[in-house]
Amino acid sequence: MTGRGDVLCSHCLLPVGLRALRRMVNGEGRAFCCHGCCIAFLVKSGRSEEWEAAWLLIRLGVGGFLSMNIMLFSLLLYAGAFTGANARMLPWIDLLLWSLATPAVVILGGPFLRETLVDAAERRLAASALIVLGVGAAYVYSVIAAIEHSTHVYFDTAAMVLMLFTVGRYLEAAGRAGAARDLEPLLAAESECATVVEGDVERRRPAREIDAGMLVRVRPGERIAVDGVIVEGCSHVDEAVITGESRHVTKGVDAAVIAGSINLDGPLLIRSTATGTATRWAQICRSVRDALIRRTPTQRIADRVVGVSVPLVLVLGALTVLYWARYLPPDRALLAGLAVLVVACPCAVGLAAPLATALGIGLLARRGCLVREPGALEALARTRLLAIDKTGTLTSGSPRVVAIHSEGVSTDEVLARAAGLERHSEHGLARAIILAAKRRGLTPILAHDVRIVPGRGIRGRAAGQAVAAGNAALVRDLGWTVAPALERRGCSLEADGYSVIYLGWNGRICAVLSLEDSPLPEARWTIRSLRNRGLDVVLLTGDLPAAAQRLAASVGIEHAHAGLCPQAKRAALDRQRQSYGVVAMVGDGLNDGPVLAQADVGIAVGCATDLARQAASIVLPPAGLSLLPWVVDVARAVRATIRTNLMWAFGYNLVALSLAALGLLQPVLAAAVMAGSSLLVVTNSLRLRRLSDRAPSPGRSEVEETTPVQDPHAFGARRVIALPMLAALVLLPGGRVAALADDRGAQIAAACAACHRVDGNDRGIPSIVGQDEQSLAGALRAFKSGGRSSQIMQVMSRSLTDEEIGVIAHYLATWSKEAKRP
Amino acid sequence: MIHYLVLFAAGFVGSFHCVGMCGGFACALGRDPRGPAATALRHLICNAGRLTTYCFLGALAGALGEVICTPQGMAVPLLGGSVGIAQQVLALVAGLLMVCMGLQFFGLLRAFRRLAIGFGASTLAMSLRGLLGARGAAAALAFGVFNGFLPCPLVYAFTAEAASTAGALPGVLTMASFGLGTFPAMLMMGGVGNLLAPAWRQRGVWLAGSCILLLGLVTLGRAVLPLAAHAAHGSQWGHAG
Repeated sequence: MTGRGDVLCSHCLLPVGLRALRRMVNGEGRAFCCHGCCIAFLVKSGRSEEWEAAWLLIRLGVGGFLSMNIMLFSLLLYAGAFTGANARMLPWIDLLLWSLATPAVVILGGPFLRETLVDAAERRLAASALIVLGVGAAYVYSVIAAIEHSTHVYFDTAAMVLMLFTVGRYLEAAGRAGAARDLEPLLAAESECATVVEGDVERRRPAREIDAGMLVRVRPGERIAVDGVIVEGCSHVDEAVITGESRHVTKGVDAAVIAGSINLDGPLLIRSTATGTATRWAQICRSVRDALIRRTPTQRIADRVVGVSVPLVLVLGALTVLYWARYLPPDRALLAGLAVLVVACPCAVGLAAPLATALGIGLLARRGCLVREPGALEALARTRLLAIDKTGTLTSGSPRVVAIHSEGVSTDEVLARAAGLERHSEHGLARAIILAAKRRGLTPILAHDVRIVPGRGIRGRAAGQAVAAGNAALVRDLGWTVAPALERRGCSLEADGYSVIYLGWNGRICAVLSLEDSPLPEARWTIRSLRNRGLDVVLLTGDLPAAAQRLAASVGIEHAHAGLCPQAKRAALDRQRQSYGVVAMVGDGLNDGPVLAQADVGIAVGCATDLARQAASIVLPPAGLSLLPWVVDVARAVRATIRTNLMWAFGYNLVALSLAALGLLQPVLAAAVMAGSSLLVVTNSLRLRRLSDRAPSPGRSEVEETTPVQDPHAFGARRVIALPMLAALVLLPGGRVAALADDRGAQIAAACAACHRVDGNDRGIPSIVGQDEQSLAGALRAFKSGGRSSQIMQVMSRSLTDEEIGVIAHYLATWSKEAKRP
Repeated sequence: MIHYLVLFAAGFVGSFHCVGMCGGFACALGRDPRGPAATALRHLICNAGRLTTYCFLGALAGALGEVICTPQGMAVPLLGGSVGIAQQVLALVAGLLMVCMGLQFFGLLRAFRRLAIGFGASTLAMSLRGLLGARGAAAALAFGVFNGFLPCPLVYAFTAEAASTAGALPGVLTMASFGLGTFPAMLMMGGVGNLLAPAWRQRGVWLAGSCILLLGLVTLGRAVLPLAAHAAHGSQWGHAG
């Protein structure tokens, strides 16, 4: 956090831009990108005892009260309720409207005025200036009209435009926060607190202050804030944020836990093994934050358009007033100008790109795919060629024995002897041989006096005979005899790109083992899916041509370029770029760093190395190759969404602007239209979230593309929140009405908030009624026995215990599963 | 006048349903430490905020009804040419809506209920939470304003009724009568809410449902009977011609 521009809004997680609103919330300094986010954040997480949180809402409520009254009387006025005999009341009505409008304009217009003044101090003109100017003009005109007892006052317009804009901004902010829901767990690392146990004292401390060796208590439902080992307790944890795999893993004492995973159902005591800032989660957090702050090329263009448009709109508004003043009474001309100012607010245009990009980043992050450069998504959507590296990307990186050629001995004996000898080696090839022997159920013939010959192989003694295994160089060194057929076979295998191990005993080479790096099981499916998406795939590898061709054929790639050193790979990539324009490179992120950096989009697969030193702009999780087609889908969807967003926003603004300039749009309607345009962009962007269901889970190659993936995070948050309201009316089976059953919903929501089941937000509902231990106990009993509780569960004034939350969390998990079933 | 008295009565009866949700909120608004008078004032202010919201909704709905029904000022009337028929169609829609709302009090039409109540509830509930703890008249007023927007089938039903009156003023008066009808129950909620046994609350909900149902049928009748008369009239003309 160095400059002002690289801070994220506390509410919607988009960059705050140059005009950050700073507020103290719950004792912490927060930055917001707009007034709407500020209100929405305070509504969501402000504690009611905090004066500021309540104050904003009070202002909104009182402003609403005033403007609704103004609108009420104005509607009656327009409807002709004060004509004829009642006409003498008109001046009094005007006075009443004036007295109502003045506080309303001050209360609701304050934030807009402040924004404008801050901008003006920095010699800038922003969208809020349009509102201030328009509303100010309407108000001043109305005051003069009221004093002069003229027929028309427009206090209603002034108040309602402000009200609609405030509500519009609030709704937009709420929508944006919905979009950021996936990002929240990833960005939580910086703000997360953990309960540190020091002797008998438990203290909440920020995760970044935790050192290795500290004891941390994690309650069910909490996020584990540090890497560590369990000292006490047993629970299921969800590691989806880190591994991308959303399944529940059971962890007991001595099991390692990763920071960022969620403790689902049992209390845990953890000894941390690393400092809070060194965890992968913290790295991911920094990386995601950086990606969100950077602006994509599209966004830069949109921002520039917004910057230019405000003065233009001001001029257009003035022209509209001047033009209409010639044909209409001055008040009507003023209204037309006001409508122009209000309707041309370019909020939606500025929102189009960052919102879709942030959604895409969040969507991918939920499956463990990290986007480090937001522009990469747009570039990936444009790319037509995917260059893929072989080793570690399409292959597992660990070789396996593919053939054994022996002379005069059985294959089993060869493997048994080789395995007995190679047990002493750490080499990758040795592991492959041991694995092969194990698969066949062979007992290794144990060797002793083993000596490793560096760069050659290994030798020792078994069953009274000298045994050796290694490459051709070792054979030459030993001077053992090799049957010519075996030697020829070895040479040809080596020429074909296999790794070859000669094995011999008693002074004679008896067998040649050929090993090869095996393609990943999901490689073929992935390549096919990519090609189905109209992408060309080429293989770029440093391996021998024969090996490359073999692999290409087995996974379904047509073009393979083999024998390339890193420089040659870059040159090959450049050549492809000339014919394809935008190229993406997929590699393992270790050896391919320079090539990945060179490509328009570098994608690293299965990379566990330090993210900060990572050259790729997109990083897939380990075993995440099968996610690649989905990543392409998301990137394309993001790009399409940005385009439609911009189209909508511009189109909407242009159409509404023309209508307003022609005097066909009432200012109040214009304000509603403007709020609508922002909401439209938000809603359109939120459609992106549907893509999350289409992601294949990593490591499962044969999954159909359309297989929906179970996701515990997709827990029906909205349903839970709606429940209190819903339940207030539900007639429960048995004819008993749970008139206070909404409290059960409230309790559930409170429990959700406590255990972060609902997207980590504090979505508590007010404590409505007093405590009732008995009904809680009854409900818990019912939950435990697996039944549905029709008990009335009241909100407790005390906080729930771990066990109680555990029971409720478990109930919720089952309940949400059942709710999902059609 | 009698019409508005009926609406007042309907609001009063219907407000027994409010015990469930709004009543809880009213209880939570709590007592003012400065004594019973201050507490009463606090609740009164809160309810005034609620009433304003209702009246506003009524005015909007009434004005909308008026726009739909009167061709005046528009190039093309939205519904038919005859003002009478347009208003009857509006009453028909409103009546059907009210019947649906009424039925869901009896646990019927579940999908409809979700549509009616699920929307926007969470945000509002959270705004209300933010205001519960705050002291002062302004907070109570703001609380009332938000409370009025809480999704509630009762409010929807009466808003539909207000729209069917096809005028801003009758719309306001409709909602005002209903809102005033809910006053007694809501004001007494602090005491009554906790005393009322679940069985009684259930009867209250049924009573509210029956009331809405009845009102919906009356509105439907208002729509259908003149229509039928009109049709009969038309056919007479047809015979005559």
